[in-house]
Amino acid sequence: MNVLEMKNIHKSFDDLEVLKGIDLEVKKGEVVGIIGPSGGGKSTLLRCATTLERIDKGNISIAGETLVKTSNSGLTQYTDKKTMQQIRGRFGLVFQNFNLFPHFSVRRNITEALIHVHKKSREEADSICDDLLKKLGMEDKADAYPCNLSGGQQQRVSIARALAVNPDILFFDEPTSALDPELTSGILKVIRELAEEHMTMVIVTHEMVFARDVADKLVFMDGGVIVEQGKDIISNPQKERTREFLAGY
Amino acid sequence: MADIASTLSQLAGGLRFTLGIFFLTLLFSIPLGLLVARGRMSKNKIVSGIIRVYISIMRGTPLMLQLLLVYFGPYYIFAVKLSDLDVGPFKYRFVATIIGFSLNYAAYFAEIFRGGIQSMPVGQYEASQILGFTRMQTYFRIILPQVVKRVLPSVTNEVITLVKDTSLAQVLAVTEMFTTAKNLASAQVSVMPFIVAGVFYYVMNGVIEIVMNRAEKSMSYYS
Repeated sequence: MNVLEMKNIHKSFDDLEVLKGIDLEVKKGEVVGIIGPSGGGKSTLLRCATTLERIDKGNISIAGETLVKTSNSGLTQYTDKKTMQQIRGRFGLVFQNFNLFPHFSVRRNITEALIHVHKKSREEADSICDDLLKKLGMEDKADAYPCNLSGGQQQRVSIARALAVNPDILFFDEPTSALDPELTSGILKVIRELAEEHMTMVIVTHEMVFARDVADKLVFMDGGVIVEQGKDIISNPQKERTREFLAGY
Repeated sequence: MADIASTLSQLAGGLRFTLGIFFLTLLFSIPLGLLVARGRMSKNKIVSGIIRVYISIMRGTPLMLQLLLVYFGPYYIFAVKLSDLDVGPFKYRFVATIIGFSLNYAAYFAEIFRGGIQSMPVGQYEASQILGFTRMQTYFRIILPQVVKRVLPSVTNEVITLVKDTSLAQVLAVTEMFTTAKNLASAQVSVMPFIVAGVFYYVMNGVIEIVMNRAEKSMSYYS
């Protein structure tokens, strides 16, 4: 079963066409790595999949629910507000710059949506939070505030926040780009562990070695199109453009 | 000595109006300022245009003139008798003072709030959206608490100015503290009442500084 289906996605910002007909399928338990040069449309694709940007044309469904589709007559229509909220409850997104809520403790960052969106009891939310923090090696930081944490710790909290709702799929938008190499390896380790647990994930990254190791499928994007995809495109690229890009690493 | 005692007690009488103007203005102008700020940021060009003009007029003309307009406007423009406009125990001159002050201060607060709201990183909205918070939840749980911290120093400035501006109510013959001081000074042929009134204003603002500093400190646990 496909957890994420994107078909013929088109997206423009004013006159600039950023996505020129992208097809992407992610199966349950699959880890998909998206690589490619900056400005190639990777982040925009992720933002379209996570409702942060609206597409101009195409179909997206997440966990079997249709988020948006373009009818035969060419009309692109998003689902109603209520279904949209439901779909948002089915996935998580980890941002490049964390976007934690600075005025909330680590615990509240993780439990706030559980309590006020998913209507769980405080006890239940707290126990989910404790389990996640323990898993991520942060059990002593529940009462700390984001400003007192290192970048790596903040990103762990943001991963915990995304995992708390038990999502069907987790998106990562360059999760280590704001971190130094030492902290990066810690976050990559967390993502590897999630992959071992068969968490369905889509990861936009510039960490080629990591992408090659962890991804079941790699997608190379440039100029708003998918140039090449497959398991081995890093070790064995077929297209000239892919080779050219990888030569830089 | 008797003079000072009676000066103090009469000024204290005026102080009731000063405090009344102060607290009622804050009570109305802060929520109104939030609404005005939202209107100013509205995508609807007509709404934001009207609000823009409103803010421009409120900031661009003297508060004293605005007070006079609110007070005399109903009679001269609409031929409404002022005594019909008393609200409960409050004379219309006091009501007009509160309306004038609230409209004026709402404009200033609105611009402060707008600055605070617009300084919030877009990532806070995006994270809230992804987590499934409604727009109301996002505003009241995520955005507003952080905006409060950001705008507090500027708000303190306005609040302190408001304490001193209450003396403008004298143009509507509201017997607040400054009016009382002026009357006493001319009756006693002495500057003493002015000095005492000055001390009152200064002490009030001292209290405000202490309170606002505490408020700022209580939010300093995060940055």
